[in-house]
Amino acid sequence: MSVQAATSLPAPAARPAAIAFGIALAAAVVGIVLPLLVASPVTLSLATQGLTNAILATSVGFLIRQSGFVSFGHATFFGMGAYVTGLLLKHTGLALEAILPLAIALPAALAFVVGLVVVRVSGVAFSMLTLAVAQVFYEIVVKWRDFAGGDDGLSVTLPPRVFGLPTTLFQEPGDMFRIVWVTLVVILFLLFLLARSRFGRLCFAIKDNEERARFIGYRTLMPRALVFAISAAIGSIGGVLFVLYNGFVSPDVLHWTMSGSALVMAIIGGAEFLIGPAIGAVVFLAAKDKLGDITEHWQAIIGFTLILVTVRWPHGLVGTIWHWIRRRGRGGRA
Amino acid sequence: MTIHILNGFVYGGLLYILSVGLVLIFGLRRVVNFAHGGLFMVGAYVGYAVALHAGFFTGLAAAIAVLAAIGILLDIGVFRPLQRHDPLLTVLVTFGILLILEDLVRSIWGKDYVTVSVPALLSGNVEFLGLQYPVYRLMVIALALVTMAGLTLWLKRSAIGLHVRASSVDAVTTAMQGVNTDRVSATVVGIGAALAGMSGVVAGPLLTLSPSMGSYILVDCFIVVVVGGLGSFTGAFLAAMAIGQIHNFGIVYLPWAASSIPFLIMIGVLIWRPQGLAGGAST
Repeated sequence: MSVQAATSLPAPAARPAAIAFGIALAAAVVGIVLPLLVASPVTLSLATQGLTNAILATSVGFLIRQSGFVSFGHATFFGMGAYVTGLLLKHTGLALEAILPLAIALPAALAFVVGLVVVRVSGVAFSMLTLAVAQVFYEIVVKWRDFAGGDDGLSVTLPPRVFGLPTTLFQEPGDMFRIVWVTLVVILFLLFLLARSRFGRLCFAIKDNEERARFIGYRTLMPRALVFAISAAIGSIGGVLFVLYNGFVSPDVLHWTMSGSALVMAIIGGAEFLIGPAIGAVVFLAAKDKLGDITEHWQAIIGFTLILVTVRWPHGLVGTIWHWIRRRGRGGRA
Repeated sequence: MTIHILNGFVYGGLLYILSVGLVLIFGLRRVVNFAHGGLFMVGAYVGYAVALHAGFFTGLAAAIAVLAAIGILLDIGVFRPLQRHDPLLTVLVTFGILLILEDLVRSIWGKDYVTVSVPALLSGNVEFLGLQYPVYRLMVIALALVTMAGLTLWLKRSAIGLHVRASSVDAVTTAMQGVNTDRVSATVVGIGAALAGMSGVVAGPLLTLSPSMGSYILVDCFIVVVVGGLGSFTGAFLAAMAIGQIHNFGIVYLPWAASSIPFLIMIGVLIWRPQGLAGGAST
């Protein structure tokens, strides 16, 4: 069956890609217009923070979707993106143009090396291992007071211009909203293409049954480490945007509870779907903002929602809506 | 020097009592219980609240009883319905429970630090190995040893202990032999939670109480459980004692690296011996 599917797939494959490109383009336009319609800078600022978290949640969800690995340590990559940017700006004379790619490449490279080791274990052991690796980084940053600012965090002063644009753009809620939104849309579109590529389908095959993929003759270690690295790169993009916007980073973003939140966002949104984690992040933070005003029991509500979603709606928000629409659609046709 | 080693055993003993509960639950339900730190924290607060009115030892007994009940409910209400699902799903649910427990404790007792004093009966120092050492700390070490001895006897000599060991190896086959694995599991999760509660109360006079104390120590417990080998009781004991020593010597001699070393050891063990140092022995 799979041989049949594989040989007949390429022809119709071009169409969905074109449709996705159209959707991505439309989404980008919506994002660029949206700040004009939102008057309150506070709301825009919250939305911008929400979107940087959405990028982190997307990276966690992508890892689950593409390889089945549940990471309890992705805050590391988010935090590294932010810290590499901040530390290089503070301690070296490098131009921001050089720093930005480094702040994404370094976490990705680290993740690839770590990935070659950690993807050998699966299931809960993988989750605990990522948790441990993440805590090591947390402890290093907290302890390394002279270099990284320790508990107090790190203030970042941006140079006046980058790539010919004024860096004040990054700290203006409306403009930053557009930048983060478009970045997220581009990431989602690229991940869509990746999932449909040969490499993406190989990853699904490995996720399904690693042994079988190996016996067919594929190398399985490298693809899994690569997915881990790509996921880390996405997380670090979120961190870079976070530090550009806030001009400040503290070890809180490296703590395992941050990784936990990102995972919760991905699960609530629905990690089986590309866009699920991002939606989950936005809903999570909107609810946090709204409920934070009414009740102090925000954390219990999150815990309860997490339990409810994992047990009752394991497909998450997006998945549940998707299945509901499909069921209705089928009912209508019949 | 001796004092550092003793202090290491105190923390190791505490970690052992807490981690062995995690190991028991993992053995039966194949679930890494993220709520375990929450149970530890609830135990500490229940012990503290009862001790205010009725003394430390009543508090200890109350915490053990309350946590045993919570454990049984946890097994019946969460682990049993989810046993056919992906273990990761249960992990996420227990993470949710941890969040709820923290919030609950915070709204009852506030988020400020609370200190518990050493019970009068166990206060003061005693001459031990040529130095003055607090009685209470010696009692913690003794309690860990008694817990280990008690658990070993229970697991090796009693009928239900045999069932527990059998279920840890293969729950389905054990059930086919006519063992009520659900009841075994409820007992085991109850005992695991009770141990978490006991270690919480015992930790009270040593650490300060706060709603987040559970998520802090949980990570140390994971290290113990992974290093010792998931599901290995002897391994948990050895790993807890070793981590206790490393933790303590690290704080004294390598303060900047103290908190990273246990993680590095855990990473090393997961890479070179994923089944844990004592894994495979299944005792």
